[in-house]
Amino acid sequence: MTARTVLKNEWRLLMADRPLKIALGLFVVLLGYALTNGVVWLRFQERTVEATTSGNVERASALRQELEAIEAGGQPSSPFADPRSPRVLGGPSGSHTAVLAPGPLTALAIGQSDLLPYYYDVNIYTNEASFHQNGEVENPLNLMVGRFDLAFAVVYLLPLLVLALSFNVLSEEREQGTLALTLSQPVSARSVVTVKLAFRALVVAGIVLGVSLLGALATGGFGSPGRLLLWSVTVVAYALFWFALAAWVNALGRSSAWNATVLVGAWLVLVVVLPAAINAAAGLLHPLPSRVEMVTAQREASNDAVNRRSELLARYLEDHPEMAEGVVADEPGLGALSWAATDAVNGRLEEVAAEHDARRTEQTALVRRYRFLSPALLAQEALLDAAGTGDARFADFQSQVREFAERWREFFVPAIMADEQMNAGVLADVPTFSLADGDSADLTRRATAPLAVLAGLLALIGAAAGVGLGRVRGAD
Amino acid sequence: MIHHIVRKEFADMIRDGRFRWSAILVGSLLLVSLAHGWVQARKASQEHAAAQATAREHWETQGEKNPHSAAHYGVYAFKPRLALSFVDEGVDPFTGTSVWLEAHRQNDFLLRPAQDATAAQRIGALTAAQVLQHLVPLLIILLTFGAFASERERGTLRQLLATGVGWKELALGKALGASGALALLLVPAAVAGAAALVVASPGPTASPLARGAVLAGAYLAYFVVFLALSLAVSARARSSRTALVFLLAVWVVNGLVAPRVAVDLSKRVYATPSAFEFARTVEREMADGVEDIAPPDRDESTKRLLAEYGVERVEDLPINAVGVYLQESEEFSNRIFDRNYGALWDAFRRQGILQEALAAAAPSIAVRTLSMGLAGTDVEQHRHFAEAAETYRRDLMRQMNGDMTENSLTGDFSYAASAELWESVPPLEYEAPPLGWVLGNRILSLAVLGAWLAGAVLLASAQVRRAEVA
Repeated sequence: MTARTVLKNEWRLLMADRPLKIALGLFVVLLGYALTNGVVWLRFQERTVEATTSGNVERASALRQELEAIEAGGQPSSPFADPRSPRVLGGPSGSHTAVLAPGPLTALAIGQSDLLPYYYDVNIYTNEASFHQNGEVENPLNLMVGRFDLAFAVVYLLPLLVLALSFNVLSEEREQGTLALTLSQPVSARSVVTVKLAFRALVVAGIVLGVSLLGALATGGFGSPGRLLLWSVTVVAYALFWFALAAWVNALGRSSAWNATVLVGAWLVLVVVLPAAINAAAGLLHPLPSRVEMVTAQREASNDAVNRRSELLARYLEDHPEMAEGVVADEPGLGALSWAATDAVNGRLEEVAAEHDARRTEQTALVRRYRFLSPALLAQEALLDAAGTGDARFADFQSQVREFAERWREFFVPAIMADEQMNAGVLADVPTFSLADGDSADLTRRATAPLAVLAGLLALIGAAAGVGLGRVRGAD
Repeated sequence: MIHHIVRKEFADMIRDGRFRWSAILVGSLLLVSLAHGWVQARKASQEHAAAQATAREHWETQGEKNPHSAAHYGVYAFKPRLALSFVDEGVDPFTGTSVWLEAHRQNDFLLRPAQDATAAQRIGALTAAQVLQHLVPLLIILLTFGAFASERERGTLRQLLATGVGWKELALGKALGASGALALLLVPAAVAGAAALVVASPGPTASPLARGAVLAGAYLAYFVVFLALSLAVSARARSSRTALVFLLAVWVVNGLVAPRVAVDLSKRVYATPSAFEFARTVEREMADGVEDIAPPDRDESTKRLLAEYGVERVEDLPINAVGVYLQESEEFSNRIFDRNYGALWDAFRRQGILQEALAAAAPSIAVRTLSMGLAGTDVEQHRHFAEAAETYRRDLMRQMNGDMTENSLTGDFSYAASAELWESVPPLEYEAPPLGWVLGNRILSLAVLGAWLAGAVLLASAQVRRAEVA
C-alpha cells in the first residue's frame, strides 16, 4: 500500500462525506467574504491616500501661483495670509500631508489600520500633541467587535476546520475495526496518519493560500514577495501546529468523542481564553500610563509658556488677525516672539510625551513577551506584520513623521526668526515626505521570534505525536 | 417526581470532573474579570474626576485676558466612567476619553485607550461581559448536550420513561438541574457584582441597581435561550456526538462569526465618510456655507447694529460689534457641525440598528447590545456625553462673546475680564441618561432577545415531545 493509494482513498472518502463537504464549502464562502471585506477596505484607504497626495500638489501649486503673482506686482489675497511670510508658507495653509500607504497585504489583514492614524498634516506647528489623533472615522462599535478579514478567519476558524478534518483520523479506523486490517499491511500507523494528515493539510493550505494569493493578485500584493512568503509560511505553520496536535491526541488511543472534546477544549483555551487572560494579566501587572494625566501635564506645559508671554494684544492678534483693523498686522519681531513661545511649549510637550512613551514602550515590551504562550497570538502578530497592518509599521511611520516635522521646522524657522520673506524660488526646496518603508531585514527580524516559537511548538508536538503513533498497534 | 430528576441531574453534574473543572475555570475567570474591571473602572473614574477638577482650576485661574482669548483657551472635558462599566467596558476603549472645548470648533474626542494598546488586545479582552456572553453558553452546551442523547445511547431513557415520568417533567427537571449547577457559579458572581455596586461603586451612574437588575435579567434570558436550544438539539440528535458538534457550530457562529460578519455588512450598507473627506467637507462648509446656511455677513451685521442703536459710526456703538459678530459665527458654525456630526452619528446608529436586527441570527448580538447599553458604555451613551459637552461649549462661548459685547467697545483690544467671569461659568456637570432612555434605545434588542427566548423554549418543548426513545 503506497502513499498514493491512501491519498486516492482519502480523496474518495472526502468526496463521499457530505457534512464535511458542506463545512469545506462554507469555509470557502467565508474566506471569500473575508477577502472582499479586505479589498473594500484597501480601496477605501487608497482613495484617501490619493486625495491627500493630490491635496499636497494642489496646495503647493496654489501657493506657487500666488507667490508668482505677488512677485509680478500683485497683492496677496489677504494681508493676513501673505504666502511670503514663512509663518504662512510653513503654517497650516501651506502644510504637507505625510501619508502611510496601506500595507501591501492590507486586503488580507485589516489589522490596526482601522484604528491608528495613517496620515498627518505637517506644518511648523506640528508638535507632540499633533500625534493625538484619531485614525479613520469609524463607528466605535465596529472597532470593538473587529472586522471579518482573512487574518481573523485564519487565526480563529482555520484551527476549527483542521480539527474537524482530523480529530478522528486514527480513532475512527479503530472504531470501525479497519485499523487492524490497515496495519496488517507493511505500513506503520505513523506513516498512515502522516499521509492522511498530509492530504488534509494540502486541502486546507490549498484553500487558504489559494484565497490569499488571489487577494494578493487582485490588489498588487505580489509586489512584496517577501511579505507574501511570510504570510504563507505563517498560515502553513499555524495550520500544521493544529494538525500535529490532532495527531498527538489521536496517538493517545482514546475514542473519537474524547478526541473531539479535548481538541475543542485546546482550541478554546489557546485561541479564546489564553489571549484574553494574557491581555488582562498584562493590563494588571503592567498598566499603561494614563493619557488623561498627560492631557493635564500638556495643558500645564503650555500654560507656563503662554503665561510668560504677557502681550495680550499679540495673542489676540494671533488668534484673529482679521479683527485687527487699524492695528499693524505684521509688527516686526512679533513672529520671532510668538515662535519663541511656541518653541517653549513644544519643548515641554516633548518632555511629557517622552516620559509617557518610555513607559508605554516598556509596557508593550513586557506584554509582547506573553504572546509566546498562545500560538494564536503568535500567528496574529506574524500575519499582521506580513500584511503591513501591525503596530510596528504604524510606530515606524509616526517616528518618520516626527523627523519630517523637524526638517520642516528647520526649513522655515530660521526665516521666521530673521523676519525674512520667502519667494516662489524656495518652493522647490520645501521638504516633502517620502515613506521609507521598513526594509525586509527588519521584517525578517521581527518575524523570526514568533515563527521560531511556532516552529518549535510544532516540532515538539510533532515529535510527541510521532513517538505516540510509533506505539500504536493494530491489535489494541 | 420532578425534584428527584432535578436532584439527580444536579448531583451528576457537580460530580462530573469535566463539569467541575470547566465550572471552576469559568467561575474564576468571571470573578477575576469582575475584580479586574472594578479596579480599572475605579482607577479611570478617579483619574477622570481629578482631571476634570484640574481642568476647571485651569479655567478659573487663567488670569486676566480678553473673554475671546479665554474662549480660545477653552476647557477640557473628560468622559466619566460609569459605575456598571466594570461589568462591560463596551466601546469605551475605542471612543476618546477627552475633548477640548474651544472657540469656533467642535473637536473630536481624542485619546482612545485602544490606540495605546497592542494589536493583541483586539483579539480578546477579558471582561465579565465576554465571559458571560461566550464562556457561560459554552458551559451550558457542555452540561446539557447529552441530556437526552446520552441517555438514549445508554438505553436509560427507555427505563426512565417506563417509570411513568412525562417528557415535559423530564425536560424541566434536566433544565432545572443544569440551572442549579450553573447557579453555583453565577449567583456568587452576581452577589459580588451587586455588592461592589452598593459598597464601593467604581463610578457615578443613574440608578445603578435598577440597571444591574435589568442587566442580570438580560443575561438570564440569554442563558435560558442556550439551555433550551441545547436540550432541543439533544432531544432531536441521533447521537450525543452529533448534538455536540451541532451545538458547537451554533456557538461559533453566534459568538465569533456572526458579530464580525454583521460589522462588515453594516459598513457596506451604511457607509461612513473617510476622516479626510469629513474634515474637508466641514472645512469647505465652514468657509462657504451650504444652501440654506449662509456664513454671517460682517458688514450686514454692523449695519444692523448701527441702525439698532441709531448711531452713524462703529466707534459710537455702546457695545462691541466684534463680540456680536463672533457669536453669529459661532451660531453659523454650530449649524454646520450639527449637520455633519449629526449625519455621522446617524450613520453609526443605523449601522448599530442593522447589527441589532442581525441578532435574529445570533442572540449574542442582542445580549451584547443590551449589556453595553445598561453598563452605559454603548455608542449612544457616548453620543449623549459628547452632546452634553458640546452644549456646554456653546453656552460657554455665548457667555464669553456676550461679556465681550457688553463690556468692551468695538476696536478695543485691551479689555480683559477677570476671574470673576471665569468663575461665573458653571462647571460641566454631566448626568447619565436614566434607565428608561437606555431601554428606549434598545427596544429592538429587547424584542429580538425576547423572540429568541420564546422561540427556543417552544422549540425545546416541541422537540422533547417528538423525541424518540431509542
